Amino acid sequence: MTELLAALGPGFLEDLGSFVADNAGELAAGVRRTLTVSAIAIAGASIIGLTLGAARAYRIPVVSQLAAAYVEVIRNTPILVQIFMLYYALPQVGIRLEAFTVAWLAVTIWGGAFNTENFRAGFEAVPARYREASAALGFRGFATFANVTLPIGGRIALPSSINTYISVVKNTSLMYVISYPEITTTVFQIQALTLETVEAFTVLALTYLIIVWSLSALIRLLESHLALPEDR
Amino acid sequence: MLPDWVEPVARYVVEVGLRNTLKLSAIALAGSALIGITLGTLLTIRFLPTRALIRLYIEIWRGLPILVTIFIVFFALPAVSSALRFDPITAGAIALILWGSAQVAETTRGAVQSIPREQHEAASALGFGWVGRHVFVIMPQALRRLLPPLVGLLVNIIQNTTIVQVIGAPEILETAERQVERLTFEGQEHAVEIYGAVMVTFFLISFPLTRLAAYLEKRLA
Repeated sequence: MTELLAALGPGFLEDLGSFVADNAGELAAGVRRTLTVSAIAIAGASIIGLTLGAARAYRIPVVSQLAAAYVEVIRNTPILVQIFMLYYALPQVGIRLEAFTVAWLAVTIWGGAFNTENFRAGFEAVPARYREASAALGFRGFATFANVTLPIGGRIALPSSINTYISVVKNTSLMYVISYPEITTTVFQIQALTLETVEAFTVLALTYLIIVWSLSALIRLLESHLALPEDR
Repeated sequence: MLPDWVEPVARYVVEVGLRNTLKLSAIALAGSALIGITLGTLLTIRFLPTRALIRLYIEIWRGLPILVTIFIVFFALPAVSSALRFDPITAGAIALILWGSAQVAETTRGAVQSIPREQHEAASALGFGWVGRHVFVIMPQALRRLLPPLVGLLVNIIQNTTIVQVIGAPEILETAERQVERLTFEGQEHAVEIYGAVMVTFFLISFPLTRLAAYLEKRLA
């Protein structure tokens, strides 16, 4: 207990500060890679979720069944095993991907599967009377989707899809297993050299909490901004 | 017939890996449920200090990637005090419980608050104190609503046990990797088959459970 207090005593904040100062360049590069991979994956997962979610909600033959299979396989297997498959198994059949490629690809595939479900549920939750009203106004199939189902269903899907994006950011930490130098790998390597284990992992944890907490704060802002008039 | 290399790989991955994965999942589920339900119920008490502390606990362990929590428990804690040194499986279980209990606490708070006021009042009128009221009246009803998310949590726990691989705990993925490396060393490449089999194993365990969670959600809603 005295050791614990000594480690976390008043000098600890200074230690954290000097850890960040000593390794500022590497830490910044790590955070930048985490954010880059996350941004690519969030964009990709949004496109996949929108298209396949719509295909599922509208029960478009073949595409809908393939999308369902994709969703079930990804959701029911660990993402870490998917990463191993992409990085350590595919070279056996002649497909060699760079660590960066696997990094964004793995979280995009994973986020896309969860987002397909989010958007499917969102689109299916749009009341039929809205689509009927749209048809009565003369909108055809795609126009109804673009003007009615998408804006309303997209908003219904928003909270769950943003939770998926937060998970995507957290899952980029798993790229540690393929040594892609995002923030987790970077901090791990620094502490292996400097042996400042406690400082290193405290800084790492704070970094993730800042990213994740600001993302959730952003969501709440966005949610109230995009809320349907009847929910306001 | 199966090729010669399959039998020893399958036996090691199943006997050591699968067993540890299931053991770890069971411990993590029990610990997460126990701590999570307790914290979630305490969170409904209108007493600011406890609420603030529990909130902080939830937001920290839900906010951190499990991998980072595993590193903290396995590498940072022993650096603080040698009494906090754990073997990989224990460290993994602790990390999974920190994350899982935060998830359960949040869900429990919602489930407990969804039980109508009258139930609390009726229980109080019958002479139950706070603990008795929650254990005998509120919880049995809240548990019905908690069951589907708990099954969902079990699926997530089972999948997340693989992350303990990073500290070398011999669960399915770690044992599979050891076998892939042994075979590679012997000049045979079977990563696709072995990791493919690992994916199939997880799918066979998870898929029925996700179906069960969806079914329970419909039934108990």
